[in-house]
Amino acid sequence: MILAGVLLLLALVLPGLPLGEWRAFLLDTAQFAFLISGLALAWDLLARTGQLSLAHGAFFGLGAYAAALSAPALGTVPALLVGGAVATLSSLLLGLATLRLQGMYFAIATLAFSEVMRTLVLKAQFTGGSIGLPVQPAFGGAYPLGGYYLAVAVLVICTLASLLLSKSRLHFAMAATRQGEAVARVLGVPVVRVKLVTFMISAFLAGLTGGVYAMKTLFLSPYDAFGLGRAVEALVIPIFGGLYTTTGPLLGGLIIVSLETWLRLRIGEGYLVVYGLVLVLTILFLPKGLMSLFARRKGARHA
Amino acid sequence: MLRVVGLSKRFGGVVAAREVNLEVRAGEILAVIGPNGAGKSTLLNLLSGLVRPDAGRIEFLGEDITHAPPEVRAWKGLGRAFQIVQPFHEMTVRENLMVGALYGKPGASLKTAQKVVEEVIELTGLSSKADTEAGELTLLEDKRLELARALCTQPRLLLLDEVMAGLRPAEAMEAVELVQRTRASGVTVLFIEHLMPVVRALADRVVVMDYGQVIAEGRYEEVAANAKVREAYLGRSA
Repeated sequence: MILAGVLLLLALVLPGLPLGEWRAFLLDTAQFAFLISGLALAWDLLARTGQLSLAHGAFFGLGAYAAALSAPALGTVPALLVGGAVATLSSLLLGLATLRLQGMYFAIATLAFSEVMRTLVLKAQFTGGSIGLPVQPAFGGAYPLGGYYLAVAVLVICTLASLLLSKSRLHFAMAATRQGEAVARVLGVPVVRVKLVTFMISAFLAGLTGGVYAMKTLFLSPYDAFGLGRAVEALVIPIFGGLYTTTGPLLGGLIIVSLETWLRLRIGEGYLVVYGLVLVLTILFLPKGLMSLFARRKGARHA
Repeated sequence: MLRVVGLSKRFGGVVAAREVNLEVRAGEILAVIGPNGAGKSTLLNLLSGLVRPDAGRIEFLGEDITHAPPEVRAWKGLGRAFQIVQPFHEMTVRENLMVGALYGKPGASLKTAQKVVEEVIELTGLSSKADTEAGELTLLEDKRLELARALCTQPRLLLLDEVMAGLRPAEAMEAVELVQRTRASGVTVLFIEHLMPVVRALADRVVVMDYGQVIAEGRYEEVAANAKVREAYLGRSA
């Protein structure tokens, strides 16, 4: 938790540091890392109820498109909220239909949802279809660091949501639902409602993140915004960092995106090989993710 | 308190409950006994809502709960401890209890739930283990946790599924005492049990099941003398 605070503070002061000629590149990478970490934090919330979602790439994409399309009329911040709201609404409909499914079946249903959403955006006229959609920068480009600080703000919101939920009543219901659904119900936990509420919170944050992403890249295509790669990233990062925690996805996201960017610069196309290797090794040797490095001492005492 | 009328359930060709009629009176301790496969656990699953009946009615505190989902039954005051203990392994004992205390009564705040949890920890003798992860408990401690968690939902009627199974005699007597203390605090108890000394020590009344049917009912001595009951138990093992 202290680590999370330090990281967020660092994000705030980063543009003020003397970064030299790499400044623009570093800030751009950082901004991307913040958004992906935010998405990972959002995904982890639903994971806490034991549901594995492959729809978070789609929530991200819906948020991105909705924010991009409504920004000219509404302005930046209301447009981002519209992005979050559209993602939430879609998660409500998807959740009502699928949250009674468990494990694998839910994952497959969310995967199908992602594909349907991408196809819809691809075929629709008002989204620019396969040609893509140009997006206005945040605040009409009035502030050079506007997009950067929006990304920081979204990351702070995702982090706070994650922290507050782990201190709330809902935390107990989420963990109980994950660890034994039938028992949880007999103890009075309304598991379907718990999953649905969590799904909606999670989707809202993913949509919000997508909106800021749209205003950063300035151009959306269905292949990029709804890519399965994003959905996979949203789940790989919490697994890498440490599931059901706040610091895990936060730290994991920053490390993974940095690593990915650095490798891409160094070895071009081959970066995916090294990237994959790092993930496999982590899962083999740190099954509980990076967070188990911090929990080691406690574990040693038990042994 | 609880009335079951004509409750039936079949799984494929197996009849797990056949027109079961049952009444649990407020304040009593009722034992349900019977050979393996008699349908006792199915009865508890039907009562707590994990299994839907094919026919029949379940009334709890005068309300029809036949089609109510498990969580709604919990809110009305129907608690349950499982035979195969199922603690939430990644939580401490205290956190396990918090789940019951927070959600067993709708709208309980973190603060009121914490109070309930501390009381139950005291009552069930789990103080020294309160911050231990549930995955690291011994069987006896697991059983205590199972019972404690059900108590945290503050039930009016507590369903206990063989909570003594696997315990040594001394431990079982400890558990018997715990159940008696629970009843003394105003909770009605329905329990399933294999160990006859436990049934004799605890039960005000005994219901005997065989092949999904209720075959006898009454005080322990009456039931133990019943010919059908003797046949169900002794006839098959002989």
